Amino acid sequence: MIVRFIAWLRSHMLFVKIACYIFLAGLLIGDLFIPRHHAHFIGDVIPGFWAAFGFIACVLIIIVSKWLGTAFLFRPDTYYTDVESSEGEMK
Amino acid sequence: MIDSLHAGSFFFHPALLFFIGACILPFLKGWARNIFLIVLPLSSLALVMFLGYGMHWQVQVAGVEITFGRVDRLSLVFSHIFCLMAVIGSLYGMHLKENWQHMAAWGYVGSALGCTLAGDYLSLFLFWEGLMVTSVCLVWLRGTEEALKAGFRYVLVHTFGGLCLLCGIFILYYKTGDITFGPMVSGVPVAAWLIMIGFLLNAAVPPLHAWLPDAYGSASIVGSVFMCAYTTKTAVYTLARVFAGYDILIPLGVAMALYGVVYAVLENDARRLLSYHIISQVGYMVAGVGIGTEMAINGACAHAYAHILYKSLLFMGVGSVIHVTGKSKFSELGGLWKYLPWTFVFTLIGGLSISAFPFFSGFVSKSMVIAGAWNDHLKWAALLLTMASAGTFLHTGLKVPYFIWFNREEPPFEPPKKEAPWNMLAAMAIGSYFCIMLGCNPQFLYNMLPYPVHYHPYTATHIMESYQILFFTMFGFFLLLGKLKPKPLVGLDVDWFYRRGAVHFMRFCRNVPAAIDNGVVTRLHATVALPMLRLCSRISSWHDTRVVDGFVDGMAANVLKLSRNIRYIAQPGSLSKYLAGMLTFLAATVLAAVALALY
Repeated sequence: MIVRFIAWLRSHMLFVKIACYIFLAGLLIGDLFIPRHHAHFIGDVIPGFWAAFGFIACVLIIIVSKWLGTAFLFRPDTYYTDVESSEGEMK
Repeated sequence: MIDSLHAGSFFFHPALLFFIGACILPFLKGWARNIFLIVLPLSSLALVMFLGYGMHWQVQVAGVEITFGRVDRLSLVFSHIFCLMAVIGSLYGMHLKENWQHMAAWGYVGSALGCTLAGDYLSLFLFWEGLMVTSVCLVWLRGTEEALKAGFRYVLVHTFGGLCLLCGIFILYYKTGDITFGPMVSGVPVAAWLIMIGFLLNAAVPPLHAWLPDAYGSASIVGSVFMCAYTTKTAVYTLARVFAGYDILIPLGVAMALYGVVYAVLENDARRLLSYHIISQVGYMVAGVGIGTEMAINGACAHAYAHILYKSLLFMGVGSVIHVTGKSKFSELGGLWKYLPWTFVFTLIGGLSISAFPFFSGFVSKSMVIAGAWNDHLKWAALLLTMASAGTFLHTGLKVPYFIWFNREEPPFEPPKKEAPWNMLAAMAIGSYFCIMLGCNPQFLYNMLPYPVHYHPYTATHIMESYQILFFTMFGFFLLLGKLKPKPLVGLDVDWFYRRGAVHFMRFCRNVPAAIDNGVVTRLHATVALPMLRLCSRISSWHDTRVVDGFVDGMAANVLKLSRNIRYIAQPGSLSKYLAGMLTFLAATVLAAVALALY
């Protein structure tokens, strides 16, 4: 049942994509009609602020993390096992 | 309604139930054992529902009052979820033929309950160490070389934390004479810091966090399901008990929430990614404890409750994939949607819950913490926590399901014939049920919280805000999908210092101090020290022969000469000289007598 549903979605990728874009647009349009009584923050007043926030947050997280990774942090995934086994031989 | 259940004075320690159960388990076989695996955690859950408020099981040891059972609303909400999790976890591990993992897990659950119900620092410390001992067994029971090493690292790190806690307790007792486990008294800063370090290490606050992905990524499949629930949440409970309202916890919590998210981008191993998201999620709880208002403490407790359910669900989902395929790295997985559809659905529910999708459990708990931050006018904390929540969806809601179940047309290995055993699926189904139930009926959770709740998560504004953040994060994810393709890499973390750094240190010791010892000190010995010694001994031998011996010989010669002279006078050796002497003496005596008489 689940497999058939996923297979159907995968074979109608274009439809899924269009539906997603319509949904995203719907969220932005819907935001114009939301009551704004309890605004904590300027972002609660601007329509679409949280959409931009989510998108920018996502892009920032990916780019900053990837930059940190490639610049400083990435090592091959045998990094620790190699040194441990070579230490074992040295003993 | 909840309070009326706890009005009596009934108390039996639920930890004891688990310890006894762990001892009985190896004697049971077949169906009896499987039923026992479910009935015992269920009965502990029932037991927790009827515990009476107050202090129970108090004993005096050397003038110190030890309290094993302190029941109040804060300890009850944690005890409740710990027992519920034990039901799910035990069901999940039911297919295991051997009992060791269940025994270790029950010991672990019992220790967590012991910490939760402890009323003084000594019994807390006892169970605190119990947590470490039993959980390291869960790591070692994976049975691989890697798990063995990770387990030893885990023990060393936690021993450090435990010793900090113990030092803090001793100083506290020395200064105040009181070891009641409650809000920290003022005037003992050193004790407060040491106890806080002990707690923060178990809560995996950076830079004391690296043990968590290390151990949880290497633990046994069932072990990691248990471990993701108890250690960090026990630490959150202790922080809420002792350090509620300590401002330092707010930046620490926010930093944690973002730290976990950043490292999750770099992670290629599914369980290590989920581990980094534990750090991120515990960050919300730590920040909530730091804010310290009733709403924020409620939020921290609610989030701990919801977190245990969805995080264990995620670990169960990924654990099932590992159980079936034997692989846990994203770069080696993919295309499993046709083969493991139910596991996919349950993992997705866990992912949507952790991402705080409306109508899933994370939504009703995480937003309480963030709302607590807004209400306390902590604008930056609230915004950064919201940002971390976008990152959570990015990884756990999107990256984990996408790269395990999609990404490739077919898995890059022999596709699995069937899904995980029925008990694993059943445990995941129960977890999913609770995730959705809490999301749709938050009152169930709110009724259990320590303070009365005046919070309504389901307002139009809040739902709209959440959907916008989440769906535009999803948009960003699919836009940048190429950047996220998994590669067989690891990201360096603080554990570098004791995994690689220690090796470098040993190499340094071999190369520098040892080389100095061999090269310089040995040569100095041969070229400088030995000749110096020889010179000294030559001088002293000259002094010995010439000065000391000369003096002694001269003395002896003089004594000989003197004695010869005395002998010449006193003992000449001829009879005539003796006679002359005697006659002279006699004449002198007679003369003296005559003179005396005449006088």
